[in-house]
Amino acid sequence: MSETYAALPQGREQDYKDFLFKFLVIGSAGTGKSCILHQFIENKFKQDSNHTIGVEFGSKVVNVGGKSVKLQIWDTAGQERFRSVTRSYYRGAAGALLVYDITSRETYNALTNWLTDARTLASPNIVIILVGNKKDLEADREVTFLEASRFAQENELMFLETSALTGENVEETFLKCARSILTKIESGELDPERMGSGIQYGDASLRRLHRQQQQTRRPDCAC
Amino acid sequence: MDIKKKFKILIGKQDALRSPVEDSQISPEQLSTDPAVAKIKEQLRDPHVDQEILESIEETYYSSEDFDTSEYELQKLPETLDLQQIDADRGRLRGQLDVVSRKVYELVLQNHPAYATELQRVMELQRTLQLAGTICGTGRKQLMKARESFTATSLGLLANYRKRHQLMGLLKSLHTIKTLQRTDLRLREMLEEEDYSGAIQLCLECQKAASTFRHFHCISELNSKLQDTLEMIEEQLDVALSKTCNNFDVGHYEKVQTAYRLLGKTQVAMDQLHMHYTSAIHNTAFTIVLGYVELYSGTGSTNFQKKQYSDLCEHITVESFTPCLTDLCKALWEVMKSHYQTMLWHEQNNKDIAETEQTSSNVENTFNRRYVKQKLQHGMGRIWQDVQQKVKTFILGTDLSFFKFEEFIQVLDLVNRLIEIGEEFCGSKSESLQDVLKQQSLNYFRNHHRVKMDELRMFLENEGWELCPIRSNFNLLQLLEFRFMQNWSQNSSGVNSPAKMDAKQETKTNLGTGYFFNFEEKCNPFDLQPEEEEQEDVFAKSMDRDGFDDGSVESDSDSDVPEELKQEYIDEHTGETQPNHRRPRTRSRSGFKSVPIVTNTSLNILRVMGRYMKMMTILKPIAFDVITCMSQLFDYYMYTVYIFFASDGPEINDRTMNNRLKISLQRIHESLIADETVPGINGAPEERTDKIPQAHLSPIVDLSNREKLYGLSERIVAAESLVFLAEQFEFLQSYLDGTIPQNKKAFLQQFYSQTVKMAAELRKPIYRVVSTQAIDYTSLVYQMSMVKWDVKDIMSQHNTYVDIILKSFEDFKFRLHEVSRHVPISKVVHDTLWEHCVRLANRMFVEGYANAKKCSNEGRAWMQLDFQQFLTKLEKFVDIRPIPEREYVETYIKAYYLPEIQLEVWLQDHKEYSNKQLLALISSVDHINRKARQRLVNMVDEFDKNRR
Repeated sequence: MSETYAALPQGREQDYKDFLFKFLVIGSAGTGKSCILHQFIENKFKQDSNHTIGVEFGSKVVNVGGKSVKLQIWDTAGQERFRSVTRSYYRGAAGALLVYDITSRETYNALTNWLTDARTLASPNIVIILVGNKKDLEADREVTFLEASRFAQENELMFLETSALTGENVEETFLKCARSILTKIESGELDPERMGSGIQYGDASLRRLHRQQQQTRRPDCAC
Repeated sequence: MDIKKKFKILIGKQDALRSPVEDSQISPEQLSTDPAVAKIKEQLRDPHVDQEILESIEETYYSSEDFDTSEYELQKLPETLDLQQIDADRGRLRGQLDVVSRKVYELVLQNHPAYATELQRVMELQRTLQLAGTICGTGRKQLMKARESFTATSLGLLANYRKRHQLMGLLKSLHTIKTLQRTDLRLREMLEEEDYSGAIQLCLECQKAASTFRHFHCISELNSKLQDTLEMIEEQLDVALSKTCNNFDVGHYEKVQTAYRLLGKTQVAMDQLHMHYTSAIHNTAFTIVLGYVELYSGTGSTNFQKKQYSDLCEHITVESFTPCLTDLCKALWEVMKSHYQTMLWHEQNNKDIAETEQTSSNVENTFNRRYVKQKLQHGMGRIWQDVQQKVKTFILGTDLSFFKFEEFIQVLDLVNRLIEIGEEFCGSKSESLQDVLKQQSLNYFRNHHRVKMDELRMFLENEGWELCPIRSNFNLLQLLEFRFMQNWSQNSSGVNSPAKMDAKQETKTNLGTGYFFNFEEKCNPFDLQPEEEEQEDVFAKSMDRDGFDDGSVESDSDSDVPEELKQEYIDEHTGETQPNHRRPRTRSRSGFKSVPIVTNTSLNILRVMGRYMKMMTILKPIAFDVITCMSQLFDYYMYTVYIFFASDGPEINDRTMNNRLKISLQRIHESLIADETVPGINGAPEERTDKIPQAHLSPIVDLSNREKLYGLSERIVAAESLVFLAEQFEFLQSYLDGTIPQNKKAFLQQFYSQTVKMAAELRKPIYRVVSTQAIDYTSLVYQMSMVKWDVKDIMSQHNTYVDIILKSFEDFKFRLHEVSRHVPISKVVHDTLWEHCVRLANRMFVEGYANAKKCSNEGRAWMQLDFQQFLTKLEKFVDIRPIPEREYVETYIKAYYLPEIQLEVWLQDHKEYSNKQLLALISSVDHINRKARQRLVNMVDEFDKNRR
């Protein structure tokens, strides 16, 4: 408990109340990871996009199931040469967007590797959503929706097709992932207090927890 | 006497009785018959006796009218009554009475005819009078008749004629008055037609006309009515004047001005006009803000109408801020434009008048014109102040710190444009707006920076300290964030940068000078922003988080092909595969030029800096604060690198650490690093300081693995990325220097000399940690202690410990090589590492030699042999020349040979050795006697005391 709190940046994160989730965006180069993030945060399409170097960062506070959650999103470079650099960011991620490009089978084929990486390097309970990007380029589609959703089913992933260009499903992707994490927390499947869970309590839930602890502690003292 | 009295009464009676009866009936014959009776009695009496008796009547009887004779006679009687006497008296009295009676009678008789004649005359008079009365009566009657028939009618005629004449005049007047009254309607019409001057003229004429009819009652009313109308016209005129504030129209204004001139109130009009401007500014601002507040408040439950402007401004929501500001600026611009046009009109007008009037212009007119001109010019300042005030209040009403950058820039841009307009409008420097800009910029930037610092901390805590692969010719200008500097770097050695910026600004202001000129037509300068603002575009890009400017850099890098490294890094860009791409790394150990070593974090810092610098070009007033924040980014990185990689090794004496570096780190710690609050809920009330907590090294980084040389690769990445970052900072120095005011330059210099320049110094403590741990120096000392130095023969073979240390050096070298497969190890790093190792080894040599309890001359030579062997071998794999601290060892060994006196001097000169080492030296020397030795020992002990 105290561990989690100490990791909170003090006095600066007053903009979210309940949780902070660490997210990861992974996938092969050129699948549009940065564009998805940009669309999610800025609500517009990033026109002159280049390859990401290393990792970049973005954050946004969203409302999921009545809870205010801050998403701390690490956007990793997809290029192979950055693999070693980006790995250190996998650790302790609560959720991940595994992105491929529906117009490129190559990126789809690489999914297994990415998935292994994510499952081994990030926390084992990481919630992963498979994202088929560039939905707007229907004419160039190489990976069918059905095929991808089968893959998702087999690997216990959620699945959505998005378009960073039009913004379709972009926000939904993040929300869906966050919602799933929240459900797991509520069901006890995920323990936010475990180290490296990628989840932190916000001020409000901290206070609530504190109160609960006091309430449970009191009978102990009486004994 | 009674008789006399009675007689008198009788006469009185007669008179009283007769006179009313008599009138004209008493005839004179009647009267003349009476005296016949009296004549008879008179004959009987002797007149003499009578006279005597008459004279004997006491005087008192005649004294008074109401004399009571009886009482008088009674009182005259004596006390004793004497009948005789009384009787005599009575007789006498009777006689007297008789005489008197007679006398009276006679007198009456005597006068009677006179009486009768007199009476007759009276009667006569009466008759004449009666006659006159009758004549008079007839006369009057006739006169009456005459008057009735002649005079009255003609006179009436005359009078009527005169009256008609008068009424005709009156009617004329009334007609005029009626028209006067009717003009009122016409006046209203004219007002509606906005023909103010005509209306005033007409009104004035009417007034004049009315004053000629002043004698009529109704005129006073009409007059006051006209006065009212005139006032109304003035009011209308005032309203019309106020309209010019918002929407200037030349024709309209001209009409109004002519009207005021007619009224002779040109000056008043000017005063009034400025009041109108003031209220127009207020009303415009208020209406717009109110509109937005009501629009966005939704519920409309609160009554915003009644609120103060400044309160209202606080109700503006974040979303509505920018559109509202734009509208506000637009509207205020309209007002200012109107004023500008007013001035223009007056200028034009003055010219016209001057041309037409030339000499004839009278003094008052010129005075008026000058007054108007002054007033207008003065008014500009006031209007601008008002505008500034309104905008200021508006801007300060909202906290902009959470705006997105583009939005904020848009706000700044609007305000800047307003400032430019102000400058053009009245040459004002717009201090209060500048202030607002500065305040809000600072606020915004502080907030932005705080987020960025937190982000930096997060980056650091997630940093794996892996080398981020980038092109070998990488520098920060290739980052999209620094694209704006590309021109600067091309044609600069940095000197002309401020000049260039100025030039840029100049062209910008040149462009801007036309605000009023260009926008005289209907368009508004605040409409144009999206396409007009070339800067906007640049800033939109600044928000893109992006890496390389592929196009330009690619062509750049193709030119310096020798750096084969690049090939590997760009292969994914070009799609080519390079079969030999492993080669450069393996053979490059010494051949590494300066491959930039960059971490995700340092790259991020560069990006953030790029963004800051671009912000700086827009937020010029806070340039210095931005630079301070930039320095904080560097500070924090440097401090974190130090904490992570230089402070984890075994405690060693800090002599190798540069003093200035130490001071800098201390400064950073004090100014930037928040104290670790005790974990727990009680520490909750946080103050918003600019300090941030120290970062914690990511758990995936292992710094204790001996095989991996205690995280050497991470340390290299950390230290070298810091050095690279410092280089980039230095690259920017001249640019940054050009952006801050003169008085702040010292800060920048200090930052560079005390922090940036110290970055390279951090290598020593960082690599030292590796150097100290990688080689087991203690076992070396142990090995040396095994050697007996009091040998009697000259040895030709070196001791094994030399081989052992050389072996461990070779191991180290091998491991270094292993590391260099992943991370380029530059010569500097190499040298630093080896220098540390050698230094430490050398120290161990000295320490080991000092452990020799006894030592012979031959033993000393052996030591020299050993050390020589070490050096010879060492030089084969260490590039550093001279070998560091070689002297240190050699001097120590050779000191053994010094004679007593020289040894004493030597001891005093070589305090770099510890006392223990010095004492060991003294005790091992066998060519001096015990006494001398003791003296030297005492001397060294003294050093020790002094040292403390």
